[in-house]
Amino acid sequence: MLLVALPTLGFGQKKVEITFQTDGVCGMCEKRIEKALLDLDGVWTADWNQETHATFVVYNPKKVSEMDLYKAVAGVGHDTPKVKAKDEDYAKVHACCKYRDEEVNAAHHGG
Amino acid sequence: MKLPFLLLAGLAASKVAGQVDTTLYNSLQIEEVVVREEAAGLSVDSKSVTLNLNISRTELKKAACCNLSESFETNPSIDVSFTDAVTGTKQIQLFGLAGKYAQIQVEMTPLVRGLLANSGLSFIPGTWVQSIQLTKGIGAVNNGPESMTGQINVEILKPEDLVDAAESPGSEGRGDVLLNGYANQGGRFEFNEAYGLRLNDHWMVASLGHFSGRQQATDVNGDGFMDNPLGYQVNGMLRARYFGQNGWEGLYTFHALEDVKEGGQWAGSGAFPLGIETTDLWRSKMKQGRLAFTSKMGWVNPDHPDQSVGTILQLYSHTMNGFMGVDQPSNSPTDLQGIQNGLMAQFLFRQGWGNWAQTSALLFSRDLYSILLSAPSLSGLYDWGEQNVGLSTEWTWNPNPSFTGVFGARYDYNSVASHQFSPRMHLRWAPIEGHTLRVVAGRGFRNALPLTEEWGRFASNRQVRFAPNSIYSGWVWGGTTDSREIALNAGMSYSWNFIWNYMPGSLQMDAHSTQFGQTVVQDYYTPGQRYMYPQFGSLTGSTSPMSSNTLGAAMTYQLNKRTEMRLAYRFQDLRTIYRDETGVIAQNVTLPTPFVPKHRWMAHGSYEFKGGWTVDGTLQRYGEQPVPGMDPAGYPAVEMAPAFNLLSGQIRKAWTGGDVYLGVENGLNVMQANPIDGAVDPVTGAALLPTHPIFQTQFDATRIWGPIFGRMVYLGTNLVL
Repeated sequence: MLLVALPTLGFGQKKVEITFQTDGVCGMCEKRIEKALLDLDGVWTADWNQETHATFVVYNPKKVSEMDLYKAVAGVGHDTPKVKAKDEDYAKVHACCKYRDEEVNAAHHGG
Repeated sequence: MKLPFLLLAGLAASKVAGQVDTTLYNSLQIEEVVVREEAAGLSVDSKSVTLNLNISRTELKKAACCNLSESFETNPSIDVSFTDAVTGTKQIQLFGLAGKYAQIQVEMTPLVRGLLANSGLSFIPGTWVQSIQLTKGIGAVNNGPESMTGQINVEILKPEDLVDAAESPGSEGRGDVLLNGYANQGGRFEFNEAYGLRLNDHWMVASLGHFSGRQQATDVNGDGFMDNPLGYQVNGMLRARYFGQNGWEGLYTFHALEDVKEGGQWAGSGAFPLGIETTDLWRSKMKQGRLAFTSKMGWVNPDHPDQSVGTILQLYSHTMNGFMGVDQPSNSPTDLQGIQNGLMAQFLFRQGWGNWAQTSALLFSRDLYSILLSAPSLSGLYDWGEQNVGLSTEWTWNPNPSFTGVFGARYDYNSVASHQFSPRMHLRWAPIEGHTLRVVAGRGFRNALPLTEEWGRFASNRQVRFAPNSIYSGWVWGGTTDSREIALNAGMSYSWNFIWNYMPGSLQMDAHSTQFGQTVVQDYYTPGQRYMYPQFGSLTGSTSPMSSNTLGAAMTYQLNKRTEMRLAYRFQDLRTIYRDETGVIAQNVTLPTPFVPKHRWMAHGSYEFKGGWTVDGTLQRYGEQPVPGMDPAGYPAVEMAPAFNLLSGQIRKAWTGGDVYLGVENGLNVMQANPIDGAVDPVTGAALLPTHPIFQTQFDATRIWGPIFGRMVYLGTNLVL
């Protein structure tokens, strides 16, 4: 799945790759998760995979910490391994993105 | 999937060569395509067999303004230029050849054809456009015979585009009403509207509206001529979409417009003495109208999605009423009354079997032309009909993901151009992932209307003549075999899609050659004269009286998550065999085609700030270009116009409910000195009346190679309700 095997070079910035799981269900979730990460200074690229829920992030640890990534994703309502979304943040996600709801999950995977 | 590959994968969904009906296929794959188009403004489809550039709405927003002819201004493959300094008509060039040699279509129905070859591009407002597909190199046979350099297909907003946007989760119901307003420093303003409505499970409707105009004249360079014509355009489209059961769908469109432009000398410019009336001045007027109804119906076999049929029926009426000169009978002005009524019907059938697919089409078209023209040196009324019956078939072989071959041919019986056989071939080979090689070759033809499609060239006191000294002495009005144009096109290209430093980029190189076996030459190389004559092998002793050979290279790279850049260069070598009419016997002489720079460069960059702000800028360089000279002593009078740079830029603030944009065109304030010859006294600089001897012998507004208007600031807004 990780197609990016190119060496981390260029522009004199240190870059670190990380992959972690983020809960979510659909394309809207993907946009929301990726936007939250990309809005952080120091995040070079971010990609969430709808099938595997793998979140691939390349970032500069001098500018942003690993924990900041989890916080940013949780801040828009999505659970990560180290930071869970607060209920009030989860409440803000669109009805079709309610990944904690079994019915919503089933609807996305069944289709 | 990794981010950069979304772009490629998404576009792979678009059909390889299924031209039964783009909307048909798009609707089957709409989710795949729509999501990805947001990702890139300008993208090359690596799976397509033709060299296709998709231009999305995101990209179109970067164009300063306003209609199709102007929407290519950030595109490295297409050049946009004025035909003359008074009518405001803009035309495009692909491979240095006029847009009329590309097949320009709206949803696979002809747009720039017949009377609309002159300014049809300005009849589609940019804000109506959903996307544009530009094909470099000859197009698919089933789309018609007229593709010679390439094909441009424009998809206009359909009812489902608007309705789906509003119904999609998270949109909060926004997206079914789009409003746009625009105004620029040159007095041009524009309003656009799009509205979509779902009636029931099967029917959706949409309305598209446009009103634009210019009421305030300017004369920045003080030559007594308006910099831009005044006028208005009222343009509307009503669309209905049907999605039935069992694979049926339909799209019905009604289009009506009126476009009026008036330019030329301006009594209020301050350049003329008091008491001068408009009827004493050289004026230009053009009023055009279009009424068209299009019905497209398609059926996809629900049990065998590889099997589909489609029909397209279009009925249209175009009118073109033009005037140029001094509005007094004694001054014998140029007057044009043109009507084109026509219909086209097409039936398409597509069937796939494993690695093979075929699409075949039967096309019938009929056009009735009536052109009444009176000009100082020629006049007449010409009525004729043009019928075309065409049968085409195209076979696609896709044995494995790395190879696609498309072999097609069409036979047309055209009442003007006679029997025409047009074979075409497209090959795509991607031996290594990310690297794609393409080869294209084929033949196309069209029928020229040399007087109407070059209407702006009447803005001159050059004497219009049909080559008096040639072996050929006919009159090329259009409607005869002498007015047909036939070309062979061949090309190859290499595309590389790469990822470097986690970011996507692409490199493209292409070489294309277009060789005309027959063409109608417009010859401006004899000072004071404009000759028009057909050129073909037996007259010139050459197999190619007109040719275009081009090499292009373009690179795009996303520098980081906020910055995108593009660099492009193109080399264009265009030659025409003219006839030297100055002697007793006409001699053939090969000269560079005017108004085509040999070298073109372009650099484009955009940056996205946090909080919805974006900036973009484009710098273009036009190399030296040949233009007709004015020295009365010499033939051929070929001069070189200097190279120049055009800078444009835009800043945009977007929010959920729309955006506001502020931009500048021609930021370096480059202007062609004396765009209109004979307009002012060379000694005193005073504007001349049409009766002045200098004006009478030298007036020429057609030697336009650069910008007429200087720096131009504009402001616009889009609202999504």
